[in-house]
Amino acid sequence: MLDECCGPGYASPADAMKAPRETLLYTVALYVGTGVEKPDYLATVDVDPESPTYSSVIARTEMPQIGDELHHSGWNACSSCHDDSSMARKYLLLPGVRTSNINVVDVSDATVPKLHMVVSGDEIKAKTGLSGPHTVHCLKSDIIISMLGDADGNAPGGFLHLDKEFNIVGRWENDITGMNYNYDFWYQPRHNMMVSSEWGAPNTFMPGFDLEDVGKGKYGQSVHFWDFEAKKIVKSIDMGAEGMIPLEVRGMHDPTSNEGFFAATLSSNVFRWWKDGDDFQIEKVIDIPTVDVEGFPVPMPSLITDILISMDDKYLYFANWLHGDLRQYDIADKANPKMTGQVWIGGLLGKALEVNGVTVQGAPQMIQLSLDGKRLYVTTSLFSSWDNQFYPGMKDKGAQMYIVDCDTAQGGMAINPDFVVDFGREPNGPSRCHEMRYPGGDVTSDIWM
Amino acid sequence: MTTTYRVTLRNRNGVPLDVAEDEPIYAAALRAGIQLPIACNYGGCITCAAKLITGHVRQPKGTALNRRQSQAGFILLCVARPTCDCVLDVGVESHRGLYQNPFAIAGNRYPPDA
Ligand code: FES
Repeated sequence: MLDECCGPGYASPADAMKAPRETLLYTVALYVGTGVEKPDYLATVDVDPESPTYSSVIARTEMPQIGDELHHSGWNACSSCHDDSSMARKYLLLPGVRTSNINVVDVSDATVPKLHMVVSGDEIKAKTGLSGPHTVHCLKSDIIISMLGDADGNAPGGFLHLDKEFNIVGRWENDITGMNYNYDFWYQPRHNMMVSSEWGAPNTFMPGFDLEDVGKGKYGQSVHFWDFEAKKIVKSIDMGAEGMIPLEVRGMHDPTSNEGFFAATLSSNVFRWWKDGDDFQIEKVIDIPTVDVEGFPVPMPSLITDILISMDDKYLYFANWLHGDLRQYDIADKANPKMTGQVWIGGLLGKALEVNGVTVQGAPQMIQLSLDGKRLYVTTSLFSSWDNQFYPGMKDKGAQMYIVDCDTAQGGMAINPDFVVDFGREPNGPSRCHEMRYPGGDVTSDIWM
Repeated sequence: MTTTYRVTLRNRNGVPLDVAEDEPIYAAALRAGIQLPIACNYGGCITCAAKLITGHVRQPKGTALNRRQSQAGFILLCVARPTCDCVLDVGVESHRGLYQNPFAIAGNRYPPDA
């Protein structure tokens, strides 16, 4: 997949879309909070329909320490380094939210990932005063990781700067003023901008989700726009009750664009954001109403836990983890996204308890789209302690992975009937599968400069 | 000399541990070859929660439990040190009642300003 003359990734989003179809997919799989006292692992899943082992886990790479809570992941290099032939997309970084360890896995042999090294959480805490690693982005010659807490697990955290050999350089930002909490970020150097979002302090969200903590202001409701070169926040927007717990932030892949979307997870609203001269603006464009569910005295939000934009910037996808649906929106008119597809997988509304012969534990949560935009991969676990609150069966029955086929011409979605990976049947016991990556890059890691 | 207390893991065949007054119970169990749930190892994340059946512990820096969970007898083994002989149930099997779906609890409010 690598050009001989070039570095990792692709010259443009259009080139990425023409890449060969993905045949392997990596997902983290967790034992935290399941009763299986073993380390979390990286699962390599065969997604090549021509292969005899299609729709199964073909390799498991165990982390050295128990209790990481692997969550998100990111590459040592992405398309932002495409012009640098000395770089290769060879290492996948797997942060442990609970231990602060950053496990680095070598995927030189794509079917047999091997542990390369661990950046120790204790060392990160000692050297930078940060904990709770989350989003990993390659920034050309650097690697930046959003950190959700200080060394004691309190807010606001900051950003960890690693070099390409995974040495700790220090903190990336010059000034954190304005940030109450940290979570995800997206950057675009061409427009000298970065956008970051807010979950809560590790000591707040790690033990589980408590509405009382929301009332006490212990969860975020602001987004922050950064001067990327000066490494400081230039504008923060407090969204109030409409914007509670903004999580994944996505930008358009076209580097000439200075726009994107994010979801306020608890408020269950989608916002668009854009740079407006030297200023930044946001606008709510999708609002998912709460639902009164029998047996639940409190109105239930949909909880939009993951959102992404297709490589051609034409479709927006997101997951409603409590209601149980996945949606596709046409974003030709960004101010007025039009819903073009919806499928149900699990969820507390009980609309699809069993899918492809497996009783679903959880509901659509992390999503990853193929480069050509036609296959949306989805896993059902969110976070061990939150899983244990909302979907207590998952700890004994494991999470699931599905493929949803997406119509990119007319719009529309359908669950692929031939694919399900049931992590309830893992050899060491049921596990929780979470974020997914392909060896060749994907729509949530690659950024073009 | 440090005082040592007897900590009995009731749901692990009653295995007895000798735990010094300044030693976290998790560490003492590991020393005895028993791997219990662990993650943050500083009292901030709830993964190591266990149920205290009898006895008392001290848990400096344990922030992961709310009032309801503490009143129900949950403790955090990564930071809990015995102050007398104790009997515990451990592991995920002891977590019944630890977690609640906040939308299933009458009296909870969402949205917060409603
Ligand atoms: S391991 Fe996190 S609270 Fe004990």
